[in-house]
Amino acid sequence: MRFFSFHLAPYPALPADYEGPAWVTCPNELFDPAIGAEVYNRYLDELVYAEELGFDGVCVNEHHQNAYGIMPSPNLMAAILARQTARVKIAIVGNALPLYDPPTRVAEEFAMIDNISRGRLIAGFVVGGGPEYYSFSINPAHARERFQEAHDIIIKAWTEPGPQEYIGKHYKLRFLNTWPRPYQQPHPEVWIPGAGSLETMEFVAKHRYAYMGIPYFHMDVFDRSFRMFREACEREGYQYDPKQAGWLAPIYVAETDEEARRQYEEHWWYFTKRLLPGININPPGYTSLRSMENIMKGVGSFALSLRDWQEVVDGEYAIVGSPSTVLEKLERNLARLGTGNLLGLFQLGTLPAGLTRRNLELFATEVMPKLRARFPDGKPMLEASGVA
Amino acid sequence: MTTTMLAADYIDTHVGKAEVRRGGAGAPLVYLHSASGEGAGLPFLDELARGHDVIAPMFPGFGASEGIEQIDDMEDAVFHLLDLFERLGLEAPAVAGMSLGGWMAAEIATRYPERVSQLVLINAAGLYIKGAEIKDIFGRSPGEMARDMFADLRHPMAAMMLELDRMVREGGSRFVLPFEAMKPQLQTMAATARLGWDPYLHNPKLRKRLHRITAPTLVVRAAQDTLIPAAHAETYAREIPGARLAELPDAAHLAAIERPAELAALIARFLA
Repeated sequence: MRFFSFHLAPYPALPADYEGPAWVTCPNELFDPAIGAEVYNRYLDELVYAEELGFDGVCVNEHHQNAYGIMPSPNLMAAILARQTARVKIAIVGNALPLYDPPTRVAEEFAMIDNISRGRLIAGFVVGGGPEYYSFSINPAHARERFQEAHDIIIKAWTEPGPQEYIGKHYKLRFLNTWPRPYQQPHPEVWIPGAGSLETMEFVAKHRYAYMGIPYFHMDVFDRSFRMFREACEREGYQYDPKQAGWLAPIYVAETDEEARRQYEEHWWYFTKRLLPGININPPGYTSLRSMENIMKGVGSFALSLRDWQEVVDGEYAIVGSPSTVLEKLERNLARLGTGNLLGLFQLGTLPAGLTRRNLELFATEVMPKLRARFPDGKPMLEASGVA
Repeated sequence: MTTTMLAADYIDTHVGKAEVRRGGAGAPLVYLHSASGEGAGLPFLDELARGHDVIAPMFPGFGASEGIEQIDDMEDAVFHLLDLFERLGLEAPAVAGMSLGGWMAAEIATRYPERVSQLVLINAAGLYIKGAEIKDIFGRSPGEMARDMFADLRHPMAAMMLELDRMVREGGSRFVLPFEAMKPQLQTMAATARLGWDPYLHNPKLRKRLHRITAPTLVVRAAQDTLIPAAHAETYAREIPGARLAELPDAAHLAAIERPAELAALIARFLA
């Protein structure tokens, strides 16, 4: 089992009287640079702290024109982390490939970070969220094709000697010859996040990459997604490796269950009620009808629908409680999902610095070591738990 | 309730099967539908068929027509329509189109003027006019859209759009329509996005090509169309040589659905 601390870098100060979405049209006047300067530095400190506490890696991701996560360039964050940490893996989960033109930019920047960090990069590729196709005016009907071509260009640039040529439908590169090459050979580990789209799972299974389940769903949705992913691997003719799957979950640990909820709940609601609205915009043609049907099954199980805390607890949207409660919930769900990577969101919404550090500390000292013992590396997780 | 004079048929094209309705007697008149994919059981087509051989193809991605994945832009759309003309034996038919279909009609008539004998543009998209932009169709609620689409919100289709809005509002984020109910709308909007997401519902080169149109042209503007501002119809009418501009009262963007008899009469008078 590998443990990652994932940061969304939320904007924590949307005014109370703003009721609109946090995406696409959320007015950028609402961004206060004084708060920006404060939280960017604080969030970086929180990621660096994860290394001190013994995590295996840290994760950053890319979103544009929104208050949900203010990292339009996760690569800048990762570049800083490459110098401020020495041991942890740095997972960029990921770059939204269709938004880069030409996508050789991703091959270059990822390779730079991999060199600077001496081989600690995990390369995440994403299609980009629905809102990004509004924010970039890129045709959502071309999202999957552009993603596919961009992916092929990056892997080709990393693994085949240049100069070479790539002539696709969306990108035409007569001289593909990126410098630098990645430090890890043939290329860094590749992670692909997904929200239940079958195409994405089949793509990940085919290339033997790792599938990261996008959070904020009822636990049953994760269960179904990872089962579908395992089946996709089987259709490719192999048994999935737990390292190929990651579960991303909001986690909060305090001394007792009561204290945990008391400290955490308001920050959770700021996140779900203020920052999530707008994340689910699905522009026409962005998702195939086949995948749409599956995604729609999950809509009622998405955190935007939550009405009260009991529903959060019942659906295990967030794992919150005392160290023993959190341990029990994680252990049970990891065994059920069979994921060899746990990506924890230890800061969410308005959760302040002090509580975030305490959360990280309690998790790292009280929970993580026990999970490491329970799920040793290289041991099949599902078979151990009797689920398979 | 009148029975429709048009019969549906399937024609093989280079991108797959096309669903085409045809009926009536007279000179051929092709009708190109809007992004709402109107065609089946459309009284407007029956009205036109009184005096014309009406041919109404469904564009790929609409109805049962196949091949949208092979169409990336308006250029592909024009070549698909020319292909259909060949297969239907249409040398130079009259061509009428509404909104998205009007844009397609203008694209054919600028590129291949000899293939269009007469041209009718109804609330046509296709142009960008600074200060008079086409309102958004890809991100707004059905209730907001209904107000641009219909002058009279009691029209059954408008009432349905408003009702859908009410269900979403009251059901909140838990409200999910059954997939099968949403499928046609998902399909047609996806097809429209292929042609009109970026640039948004226009071709920057179209305006400077309008002078090439040789067909006698009628530009129809529904008086209460709040989706596409009047400046668009005025520009088409001004820049297409000899074009006439007509205003249709008591109608909004989906004029062919809201005012079938009045719109068909206006067109029939022009084509006669």
